[in-house]
Amino acid sequence: MTQSKIPVDLILSKLAEEAEKVQSRASKASEVLLEDLDTAIAQTPYEVVYQEDRVKLKHYLPRTKSRYKTPLLVTYALINRETMLDLQPGRSVVERFLDSGIDLYMIDWGYPTRKDRFLGFDDHINGYMDNIVDFIRERHKIEKINLMGICMGGTFSVIYSALYPEKIKNLITTVTPTNFDTKKGLLHVWMENIDVDRVVDTFGNLPADMMNLGFLLLNPARLMIDKYVGFMEHNDNKQFVENFVRMEKWIFDSPDLPGEVFRQFIKDCYQGNKLLKNQLEIGGQLVNLKKLTMPLLNIYGKFDHLVPPEACDQLVKHVGSKDTEDICLDTGHIGIYVSSKYQKEFAPKIAGWLKERDQIPRKRAPRKKTTTDKTAAGANKPRRTKKANT
Amino acid sequence: MNENKEDPSGMTSMVDTWLKSMGDLLGNMATQWGATQGQQQPWTVAGKGASPQAQATMDAAFKNWQSMANAMAAPESMSALLKGSGAMPEMLLKLSQSSLNGFGEMQQSLSERFSRMGATAEAYEFQDIDENIFRIWTDIYEKEFKQFFQIPQLGLMRTYQEKANQVADKYNLLQSTLAEFLNLLSLPFNQTMQVMQEKVGEMAENGALPDESRVYYNMWVKVLEGHYMTLFQTPEYVETLARTLNTLADFSAARDSALEDLLGSLPIAKRSDMDDMARELYELKKRFRILEKELKK
Repeated sequence: MTQSKIPVDLILSKLAEEAEKVQSRASKASEVLLEDLDTAIAQTPYEVVYQEDRVKLKHYLPRTKSRYKTPLLVTYALINRETMLDLQPGRSVVERFLDSGIDLYMIDWGYPTRKDRFLGFDDHINGYMDNIVDFIRERHKIEKINLMGICMGGTFSVIYSALYPEKIKNLITTVTPTNFDTKKGLLHVWMENIDVDRVVDTFGNLPADMMNLGFLLLNPARLMIDKYVGFMEHNDNKQFVENFVRMEKWIFDSPDLPGEVFRQFIKDCYQGNKLLKNQLEIGGQLVNLKKLTMPLLNIYGKFDHLVPPEACDQLVKHVGSKDTEDICLDTGHIGIYVSSKYQKEFAPKIAGWLKERDQIPRKRAPRKKTTTDKTAAGANKPRRTKKANT
Repeated sequence: MNENKEDPSGMTSMVDTWLKSMGDLLGNMATQWGATQGQQQPWTVAGKGASPQAQATMDAAFKNWQSMANAMAAPESMSALLKGSGAMPEMLLKLSQSSLNGFGEMQQSLSERFSRMGATAEAYEFQDIDENIFRIWTDIYEKEFKQFFQIPQLGLMRTYQEKANQVADKYNLLQSTLAEFLNLLSLPFNQTMQVMQEKVGEMAENGALPDESRVYYNMWVKVLEGHYMTLFQTPEYVETLARTLNTLADFSAARDSALEDLLGSLPIAKRSDMDDMARELYELKKRFRILEKELKK
């Protein structure tokens, strides 16, 4: 009989030592888990200023005097919820934007039901988005607004800005897939073979649970095992538990994806890569990226397993704008918005970029001689394309 | 001699003797029957024997059988009987041959089916039987069993029976594809265990065995993650994933269709009714929005 190479006795004795620690942690953990935990998300105050069907427009109450001429509209993806930008006080992109003096609006796409299965790109972009943009323009009596898109919401924002360049002053895309002809991300590999017609025709909308399972399967070792092992190791820490539960709440708070949006996203984008080829048709209009002439800031994550850098970094080469900037951060798809490190970089970077292009000129102390504010005038000058790999 | 030439087996004399003895037996039985009916039976009603009609019927029957036997014993009848008996095996042979042919065809069809199962299995490497067993089963099911659920149904309930068969078929297919998919997902665990055993063995030999269990765990998770990343990019996984989704969709569609039939008899709206209404509403809203925008312009 062959003896195992593994010295089981030694390992077991170490395990016994650790078992004591685990026992003590478990008793503390039971106390923590039975306490009143603060796991509420999306706590920053806002008011709903516009609503159409299930879609709402949130306007966040300003915390400071507005320092920008133009309000910013944030368009989240139809997958998961926009609450990710406002997970908790102190870890909130929304808070940071407000603190920077940005007048902030955000689209809440709501929870599509079966009756929404027929709503496609056209209905969301030419319909809801355009109505919302018009509402903000009218509300502020301005011609253009600033637009920021996240993930699929970024793709929507790119399409919208190409269709209505006259309404968008500055465009910010974050972890936005625009180039789908890549084998780097697993989603790109998997979506090539999916029979989307069969799925949509059967299920109507793409069920959220099916989507979530798909996302978990992108990295089961980390997302289905390691994450919860980590939780078990720190469940005696109240703050850790609260943060963990907040994240869990957000991750599994998933609306179904309207069937026709899913069909078009897979067929035209993942399988056809029509956006970069200027072949995408929305509501009878071709989307021409050359019409994106407004300043463009494109941010993405180096370790993004959902939307890899290769899916994002082609956009700036295809747009008509001369003022573009690519930023690749050393983080993943969600880390950009929620990690403590990038909380300090991401929102301030956007606020700074906007400030250069959209700052309200500061009132100067009265002088005897009137002079032109060169700083403010210079702020709107187009910059050269630069690639910053942070 | 002539008889012997015509009937070398001696069949004629044997049948002749048998018929004669049958004639005598039946004659005796008829005589006996008449005699016994004349006596009173203990179980009959006192003073009454079998009815005269019954006795007459039995007498007639015995006499008919006796005369039949005597007539059959006549040489010309015997010859005809023997000719008929000569034709009999031929007829029986034809009958049995056609039955056997039918049975043989069925047997052949079954044999072919089973041999095809073998061929299906041969297409895979049996050294990887653990990995391929679910795929083999799915293929066997699709090629050999699925058609039983496609047998055309007849009669008033045919539509419902057909739908029920579809549900059963799609469910079986989903189960086998799902088993295949889950088996694929389990492969990295097996591989990781092997890698871990080797790594830990090496460390033990080098005397560099970590004390902390966390170190082993980190190593295990990292290796597992690597195996999953490799698996997820393989064409086999991508194909199985797509097939699993398709079979899930097919099963859901078949199930919904059968359930809609059941719901049809209840006073509630079906999903397809609601879908139709939602589509009409959607189209109306869209037209309304277009008109509204045009009016604004």
